[in-house]
Amino acid sequence: MNRPETVIAVDGLRKSYRGTVAVDGISFEAYRGEILGILGPNGSGKTTTLKSVLGLIFYDGGSVRVLGLDPRKDRKRILRSTGAMLEGARNVYWQLSPDENLEYFAGIKGLSRRDIRERRNTLVAQLGLEDVRRKELREFSNGMKQKTALACAFINDPELLMLDEPTLGLDVEITIQIRDLLRASARDDGRSMLVTSHDMDFMESVCDRVLIIKKGKILSHETLDSLRCRFSRKTFRLELDRSPGAEAMLMLKNLGDVQPFDSDASCTLKVVLKDAGLVYGLMDALRADGLRIMDLSTVESDLEDIFLQMIRDDADAPA
Amino acid sequence: MPLHNVFVAEVRMLGWELKRYLFNTGAMVVVMYVLFLGMFWGVKSIGGPGISSVSLDAMVIGYVLWMSALFALQGTGGVVQSESERGTLEQLYLSPYGAEVIFFFKSVTATLFNFLLITLMLYLTMLTTGRMLPVNLLFFYPVLFVSLLSLTGIGFMLGGIGLVHKRIGAVNGLLSFGLIGLMLLPVYPLNGFSFIPFLAGAHTITEHIVNGASFPLWWYLFVAANSVFYLWIGLVVFRIFERKARSLNKMGQY
Repeated sequence: MNRPETVIAVDGLRKSYRGTVAVDGISFEAYRGEILGILGPNGSGKTTTLKSVLGLIFYDGGSVRVLGLDPRKDRKRILRSTGAMLEGARNVYWQLSPDENLEYFAGIKGLSRRDIRERRNTLVAQLGLEDVRRKELREFSNGMKQKTALACAFINDPELLMLDEPTLGLDVEITIQIRDLLRASARDDGRSMLVTSHDMDFMESVCDRVLIIKKGKILSHETLDSLRCRFSRKTFRLELDRSPGAEAMLMLKNLGDVQPFDSDASCTLKVVLKDAGLVYGLMDALRADGLRIMDLSTVESDLEDIFLQMIRDDADAPA
Repeated sequence: MPLHNVFVAEVRMLGWELKRYLFNTGAMVVVMYVLFLGMFWGVKSIGGPGISSVSLDAMVIGYVLWMSALFALQGTGGVVQSESERGTLEQLYLSPYGAEVIFFFKSVTATLFNFLLITLMLYLTMLTTGRMLPVNLLFFYPVLFVSLLSLTGIGFMLGGIGLVHKRIGAVNGLLSFGLIGLMLLPVYPLNGFSFIPFLAGAHTITEHIVNGASFPLWWYLFVAANSVFYLWIGLVVFRIFERKARSLNKMGQY
């Protein structure tokens, strides 16, 4: 099987701002046609990572290669094949129309009006901007402005797209439209994307792989399927004949995270083990308290569960 | 991906903005005109019949030159501030040609547009005051354009400072009004004041139009060298601050 082509290679990236570490030795790769998500709490280093890859920020250490080039030396060549949306709706000129914004941003990338005519029409149609394409953006909702900003990121037909919070503050309908555009673009055009977002559902539906980062370090670097698989092997729904006693509860909590499955049923627990191998310990704890298992099943975790669990696990881990 | 498309984009942007802000542009012309009238009649009534016609002529030209200097000074500094406020500054930095080229083209398009405005102002003021000066536009525009490059350099300096410190309006205001006083300094023959940006060029234009003076070739070369020097130093300062802004991640902040 052919190895996928690497379009972004980050190795040991480090960045501090006046003594505060923002990115602490991050390494990862992104491949052609892949949508790679970066998830993390506020201040975890997502945007710094993305901007370092774009060459907007000078990093302190490590190396970055984009499309095989060094952004410190070949930034201009990289930017010819790159599009980005960094501040959502604020990334476009509100006093201009979507058509004018598209023409301007194509122009500063060296493209003429004739070069982009067809592409502009396609993007306007794909994002449902036909009816408003000649109206000033200031008259629009945030969603329309954000869609225009996204269209501008696409206008030079980039090989690589960097999107910082592309769905921030958008309603479900527009989020779905953006998701569909990104998926189709990766699938049909082989476009690669680096996306940061807090929107778990969006990330789950759009990304092939996610990096989970916290305090500038990578906690996980896996495909969504592999993450789900890893978590489903250690996440259980446990229905018992009664609530566990205090001692049993303590034993269970030593094995992982234990919570009532829903607020009414204290006999039904959701147990996320620290490691899949601890399942024997779980059985021992139940047996020691004389509890009977009425039902036991694995639970498919969604990205939000996985993300929260990883952040919690990291907080519990000894420094 | 030819560079001229970047320039065309800036010209088109200027056109769209003028169209959107037509009222503002019109109001600006009216304010400039009214301000001049106030100054002209004020000076005339204070000076009384003793005021020479040469002084009034110099005032007409001086006012027009000062206006054009203001536009050039606000160039890159103003652009950096407004783009930061809007949130579009980082997008300009994603142009493969670099933000400097975009800022320079913005300055050039703004200067060319300002030539239209100041020509309108020049003829309006001459008509109003009845002082019809022999303005040779083929001399006036090139010398003014080259002289203004020195202020474009100062604009780049202010723009660089603006990338890091964001608000630079106070400095801009100080320089703008300071320039009125500076323009009264004697700069010919060559002396220390001649090295201040824009003054040599402004003096050359004023003397040529008002007194019909001519200057040796070396003086014109000096005016050009002065502009190239300040443009160069402006770009150097801009790059120093730009590196700092990119190091501190100040680009996307406002």
